[in-house]
Amino acid sequence: MLGSLLTALTAAAERSRAAGRTTSDRIRRFETEQLTLHVLTATVVFLIVLPVLIAALVSTKRAGIVTSIADLAPGGHALSNYRRALIGLEFWRYMLNSFVMSVAVVVGKLIVSLLAALVIVYYRFPYKNAVFLFILFTLLLPVPVRFVPLYRLTTELGMGNTIFAITVPYLASATTVFILRQHFLSIPASLVETAKVDGVGPLRFLWSVLVPMSRAVLVGVSVIMFVYTWNQYLWPLVIINAESLQVAQVGLSLLRGQASTGEVAWSMVMTGSILTLLPPLALLVLFRRQLLETFTIQQK
Amino acid sequence: MSTHEVFTDRLQAGVLLLPTMVVSLLFLYYPTVRAIGLSFYQASLARGDVFVGLENYRRLAGSTEYLRSVLLSVLFATCVVVGVMAVALCVSFLIHEIEVGKGLYLVAVIWPYALPPAVAGLVFLFIAHPNIGIFTSYIEALGIDVNWFSNGPQAFVVVLVAAVWKQIGYNVIFMTAALGNVPESLTETAELDGVSRTQRLLRVYVPIISPTLVFLVIMNTIYGFFGTFAMVDLMTKGGPAGATNILIYDLYRTAFQFYEFGFASAKSVVLFVAVGLLMYGQFRLSDRYAYYGG
Repeated sequence: MLGSLLTALTAAAERSRAAGRTTSDRIRRFETEQLTLHVLTATVVFLIVLPVLIAALVSTKRAGIVTSIADLAPGGHALSNYRRALIGLEFWRYMLNSFVMSVAVVVGKLIVSLLAALVIVYYRFPYKNAVFLFILFTLLLPVPVRFVPLYRLTTELGMGNTIFAITVPYLASATTVFILRQHFLSIPASLVETAKVDGVGPLRFLWSVLVPMSRAVLVGVSVIMFVYTWNQYLWPLVIINAESLQVAQVGLSLLRGQASTGEVAWSMVMTGSILTLLPPLALLVLFRRQLLETFTIQQK
Repeated sequence: MSTHEVFTDRLQAGVLLLPTMVVSLLFLYYPTVRAIGLSFYQASLARGDVFVGLENYRRLAGSTEYLRSVLLSVLFATCVVVGVMAVALCVSFLIHEIEVGKGLYLVAVIWPYALPPAVAGLVFLFIAHPNIGIFTSYIEALGIDVNWFSNGPQAFVVVLVAAVWKQIGYNVIFMTAALGNVPESLTETAELDGVSRTQRLLRVYVPIISPTLVFLVIMNTIYGFFGTFAMVDLMTKGGPAGATNILIYDLYRTAFQFYEFGFASAKSVVLFVAVGLLMYGQFRLSDRYAYYGG
């Protein structure tokens, strides 16, 4: 199909060239087109960013009630709002819990998945494909499908209401193992043979060859895992009862409840929303190149 | 056999695989199997577990409320997939066609990927609030009475828009990457021929990036069914009158508001089977129609 399309297109191109379209004509057309494109794209991008821009503006105002576009001028209460949310309403606690949870999951998942990917790429053993399938199949078992028995199990194991409850169940990751496997396979096999000849063991090989050679992918995967963990809502909501142990996502709704009595309710809620958005956003902006690279592997 | 496989110590392999296997078995496979088991019991906090056979499934089959939730979820997920992909494709194409300053637009548009669903829910609750929403008075000036706290279809649309908005960034990441991989020569040929932009997108690019599109349809479907829980919980709590009571929210309520664990397990088994079938169907269909390189 593609072949015939190509031929058709080439033939058509020849014809139009023969018709004699001048170069300057084309350049002028090109420039106006680019201008139109910029205007169009900027508008669309602005619309997509707008809701959070509004939230950010409201977080700088004293009263959060904004009923018309005219009310959108930024207020001078940014500092006091953020201080009040973080310290007065103790939002720092939720942020810290989220942060501990996310870092623990990222580090744990990286170690566990690196070991699994090492075995799957560099070891020969029976039923290897079955093991790989066993890991990949977990993609079909997302938290929402199994959270009722998971709740019972976690409670029975005495892990309910602890940091373990919101970290350990996340440690196995089919996606991470898969991405690492794809990447390891692209590293020349001669490297591992040399290492073997030099008497380098598998763990040394992992640490001093594979990890340095996978830096971009490891960073990309870590960002994906961090964002995923940071954004968890349902599982912490169910398994964590103690308010002081709750994560930022659920803490937001607590903030909404606490603040709704005062007149500053919405500006507090928007302040909390912006605070909750900042960590994953910062990672995305900082590591966007590695992230895009990793996404490309994930697609293959 | 791959030349990468230089290590043969089976014991070592087993030890290194152990963490993944233990966590997968204990926290992924076991709860799934147990959900199937529990679905045959009447299980609640107070009375302990009583075997009731297929009673839970019979209850499900006879519940019009549940049937409504099923239809609602399918409609919601379909609208999410179509909405997200249509918008993301347009945005990605616009960015792809731009020569200078691509990166800036890209960063501005993919950041909703980092946006927590809970934040998306709260921000939309605020800007679309029936009384204090920023655009509410303007929309009402057009003669539409905004009250999605009591109007079901309106609530459905508001949650849907929030869900679509939050997922655009993720899709744009994959689509721009795929568009960037389309051979330059193909674009040039199409351009020289004077093939219009939209035609080029639909006739040339979409077929070539279809493997990416298939991948995204699957990811967006899962998102539509599961990923929007926080938005529903924060914006509508499934209401008004069940208008946004999608399956995952219904399941949560059955388990953690009514504490009917057996009945909830039956619901999660149905959800599991439904999503499994849906993904299988998409894979089969896409295999026939998608263009995979070459």
